[in-house]
Amino acid sequence: MDFRYVLGGFGLVCAAWGGWLLLQQPEPWRIAVWLGGAVVVHDGFVAPLVVAIAALVAVAGLRLRGVMRGALIVAGSLTAIALPPLLRPGGVANPTVLPLDYLRNWLLALAAVALFTLAYVGVRAVARRVGREGHQA
Amino acid sequence: MRFTLPSGPPVTFKARLHDARTATAIGRWLGLAMAVCFATGVLSHYLQHPPGWLADSLPSRPSWGYRLTQGLHVASGIAAIPLLLGKLWAVYPRLFAWPPVRSVLHALERISVAVLVAAGLFELFTGLLNTFQWYPWPFSFVPVHYAVAWLLLGSLLLHVAVQWPKIRDHFTLRSPGTLALPEADGPDRRQLLLGVTAAVGAVTLTTVGQSVTALGPLELFGPRSPAHGAQGLPVNRTAAAARVSAASLADWRLTVAGPRPYTLTLDELRAMPQYEVTLPIACVEGWSKSARWTGVRVRDLLERAGGGSGARARVVSLEAAGAYRVMEMGRLYAQDPLTLLALRLNGEVLSLDHGYPARIIAPNRPGVLQTKWVGRLEVA
Repeated sequence: MDFRYVLGGFGLVCAAWGGWLLLQQPEPWRIAVWLGGAVVVHDGFVAPLVVAIAALVAVAGLRLRGVMRGALIVAGSLTAIALPPLLRPGGVANPTVLPLDYLRNWLLALAAVALFTLAYVGVRAVARRVGREGHQA
Repeated sequence: MRFTLPSGPPVTFKARLHDARTATAIGRWLGLAMAVCFATGVLSHYLQHPPGWLADSLPSRPSWGYRLTQGLHVASGIAAIPLLLGKLWAVYPRLFAWPPVRSVLHALERISVAVLVAAGLFELFTGLLNTFQWYPWPFSFVPVHYAVAWLLLGSLLLHVAVQWPKIRDHFTLRSPGTLALPEADGPDRRQLLLGVTAAVGAVTLTTVGQSVTALGPLELFGPRSPAHGAQGLPVNRTAAAARVSAASLADWRLTVAGPRPYTLTLDELRAMPQYEVTLPIACVEGWSKSARWTGVRVRDLLERAGGGSGARARVVSLEAAGAYRVMEMGRLYAQDPLTLLALRLNGEVLSLDHGYPARIIAPNRPGVLQTKWVGRLEVA
């Protein structure tokens, strides 16, 4: 019980230190807008989108749901880290900054996830059938 | 007219797995990633801007130290992206808790969670964009990323303290809280956690090649690639950006200031004892790559100028402007035999973009302190 108060109190001190540092910045309200904006964009856009996609996947049926969900989590996460180099405007400082073909790599990654998922579903279906035939024999 | 709250919550969630076991299982890994990210980030902050009392005690070994810690900083931050999104998905229905506020304490708890979510999303977003040198925000990245890190650490510790009973009750598969959940959810949850684990693996494998050269071929999304760069090494600041040209270096001399000051031409530097070291350039943005450097030991240059075994160094670049034009080097770095004023890189004379005619290479330091186009060295 006691350690929770110590931990929570220490947390408050650290957070207050961070808050004080933020107040030292010129125009801290601009930072507050970006902090609040992160929550608004996530809770108001990203999360509902995920919930909506999850509802679509649920329609697909119980057997495939887990696999499809896993594939979408991986593909979504890869897309999240691919978006900055894909959307970044402006030139780069020199040719060694952002040297890869990110669009090609993103499509490659999505194709790899799709192929891996299909292979997994296929292997699982064959394994099930073999198992069933084994029982019949 | 009186405003009355509806009797039930406005939004309900039929989907399963929005439970404390899922939140605990993902939260532990997220907490670990954030702890690693915070510790390595603070370390990097102090290495890059050491306060005076610390400058002489910063160790120059292990030579791969900063490469490891800053690689971990960026990798743990990237790994935290699927973990944070998964964690927020698990607890999303709590956003619509009804009634929204039950008591003053409940209100304070909700505010602290809002701060935690804001700081977490903000740190991962700004950190990721910074690695791509993309700055769409109207504030300075380094001090704000650093300040919000403390806000994140603090609100995370507070969150763990508040939620501790729930965390404890759902920590293992045999914990009482876990056992009280519908048994049918078990396999479903395992699949969900497997999906999140696979996502962490996928984002790590497709980016970590920027710091682990051997995994370079797997890199799809890193902002730097070990395969790109003149003389086998990526460049951050070009000579053109620093406004250094071959013409401006025609009469180049190295000035060494100290009790017995002297100047050296490039030929005189080349005539001094040369040493070869293998050291990485490790950038604060997370990429790193090892290279072979040949040049003169900084401690030999300092000694000749009358600097004793406790001498530190101040290094001044010929670049016209820049936050790191003047670089301070603590005693342990300056006296380390691996610290060179390098003239050659991977067997070739330094290219202009890599700091020709002479640049600093020291072990266990952020890349931005590996000063290029050195014009002046001072015993400090």
